Amino acid sequence: MAMTPTEAALFETTGPRARRRILIGTVLSAAALAALVAWIVYRFYIKGQLASQYWYFFAQLNVWEFIGMGLLGTMRAALGAGAIALVVGLILMLGRTSKFKPVSWLATAFIEFFRGTPTLLFIYAMFLVPAQMGLKVSTYWMVVIPVSAYASAVLAEVYRAGAAAVPKGQKEAGVSLGLTDWQNFRYVVMPQMFRIVTPTLVTQLVVVVKDTSFGYVVTYPELMVNAKVLIANFSSLIPVYLVIALIYILVNLAISRFANWLSRRQDVKVMDISEALPRGVDA
Amino acid sequence: MFADFQYLIATYGQSFIAAYLVSLRIAVLGFVGGFLVSILLTVARVSPIPPLRGAVTVYVEVFRNMPVLCLLVFIVYALPDLGIVADYEPSAILALVLVSSSFACENLRTGINTIDAGQIQAARSLGLGFGQIVGSIVLPQALRAVVQPMVTLAISVVISSSVGSLVPIAHKELTGLVAEINNAEALGVTTFLVAALMYVFTGLLIAFLGRRLERRLAIWR
Repeated sequence: MAMTPTEAALFETTGPRARRRILIGTVLSAAALAALVAWIVYRFYIKGQLASQYWYFFAQLNVWEFIGMGLLGTMRAALGAGAIALVVGLILMLGRTSKFKPVSWLATAFIEFFRGTPTLLFIYAMFLVPAQMGLKVSTYWMVVIPVSAYASAVLAEVYRAGAAAVPKGQKEAGVSLGLTDWQNFRYVVMPQMFRIVTPTLVTQLVVVVKDTSFGYVVTYPELMVNAKVLIANFSSLIPVYLVIALIYILVNLAISRFANWLSRRQDVKVMDISEALPRGVDA
Repeated sequence: MFADFQYLIATYGQSFIAAYLVSLRIAVLGFVGGFLVSILLTVARVSPIPPLRGAVTVYVEVFRNMPVLCLLVFIVYALPDLGIVADYEPSAILALVLVSSSFACENLRTGINTIDAGQIQAARSLGLGFGQIVGSIVLPQALRAVVQPMVTLAISVVISSSVGSLVPIAHKELTGLVAEINNAEALGVTTFLVAALMYVFTGLLIAFLGRRLERRLAIWR
C-alpha cells in the first residue's frame, strides 16, 4: 500500500546512523518472522499435519466443485441480502428523514434496533421461532432476512450521509425551481447521492459476505457448512479451514479493491460510517 | 406476550443478567485487548522497517476479511490438531482480539494521516528519533482523532461477542442463553426481543459515553 505524506515524513531521507539502525532492525525482524513461520511449519510437522492424508483430496476435482458450490451459496445469500438492503435501506432512510414525525421515529427505531442487534441472535430467532409457530422457512431466508436487516439499517445511514453530502446549493436550486420535496429528492439529490455512496455500498458487501457465514448455524449450504461436510468426509480440519479462510479473504479483498477503484474513478471517498454519522446524531 | 415476559423474568431473570455479564466480559476483554494490540501493530506499520510493515499489512488484511465465525471455529476445533488448546471463552476472546485489533489498526492509521506532515518534519529537525516522534507527537494525536470510529468498533465487538454462542462456553453468554431457552421451551419472540433490546441499549450507552469522551478529547482544528 502506498504511503501517505504523513507516514513518509516519519523516516524519509535518513542519515547514515539511522540507515544502519533500520538495516539492523530489518535483519532482526526478518529473522524473527522467519523463525515464526518456521515454528508454525514445525508444529504442522510434529503433529503430522503435513501428511498427505490431510491434503491429498485437494487434488480431486469434485472437492473443488463442492467448495465452489459453497462459494456459490455464499454469493447467492450475499447478493440476495445485498439487493434487499439496497432497497429497504433507501426506504428506511426516506422514513427517517421524513417530515412526518411518527414515520421518522418509527424508521429511526427500526434502524437503531437492527443495527444494534447481533445478526446471529436474529438468525437463531429465525431458526427457532417460526418453527414453534408451525411455519416453514427455508434456510436461505433464515440467513438472508437477518443479514439483510442489519445491512439495511447500515445502508440507511450511508444513504443519509450521502444525501447530506450533496451540496446545499443543489437542493436550494431545486426549491427555487419550484420542485416539490419529492421531486427535489428524486431528480436532484438522489442521483448525486448514489454517486457519492456507491463505493461505500460496495465496501458494505464485505460485511454481508462475512455475515452469511452464520449459515453455519442453520446449515444453509454455504462455504462454512460445506467445509464442515468436507471435514467430516476427510477428517482433515486444518487444511480445509485454511483453504476456506483464504477464499473468504480473497473474495473480500477483491470487493475492497473494486470499491477503491470505484472510489478513485468517481472521485468520492469511501465513507467511514461512524465518522459520517455518529449514532443518534441527526445530520 | 406480556404473560410470556413475566414468566421469562421470573424463571430466567437471574440467568439473563449472568449471561449479559458474560457477554460484556468477553466484549470488554476482546475490545481492550484488541485496542492495545492495535497500538503495537500501528507503530510497526508506520515504522521504517519493511518486514514489520509488511507483516502487519498481512495481519490486518487476514483478520479484517475473515468472518469471526470462521476464525473462532478454527481456533476452537482446528488448532487442537496443532497441539494448541484453549478453553472456549478465552478462544472467543482471542478471536475478538485478533479481529478488533486489525480494525483498530486501520482506524489508527487513518488517525495518523490526519496529522500534518509538517509536524513530523518539525520534530525531526529538532532531532527527535522515531520512537520519540511516535510516542509523543503521532500517537497522542492519532488516538484523539479516532474516538468515534473506536466507539463504533467497541459496539460491534459487543455485537460480535454473540459468536460465543457457537461454542459450548461454560457460562452461557446472552445469545447462547436465548438459543438454549428456546430449545428447551417455546417462548417465541419474547426471549429474543429481551436479549435484542439488551444489546441495543448497551450499544446506545456506549455511543453516548463515546460522544462525551470525544467532546473531552477531540482536537478542534
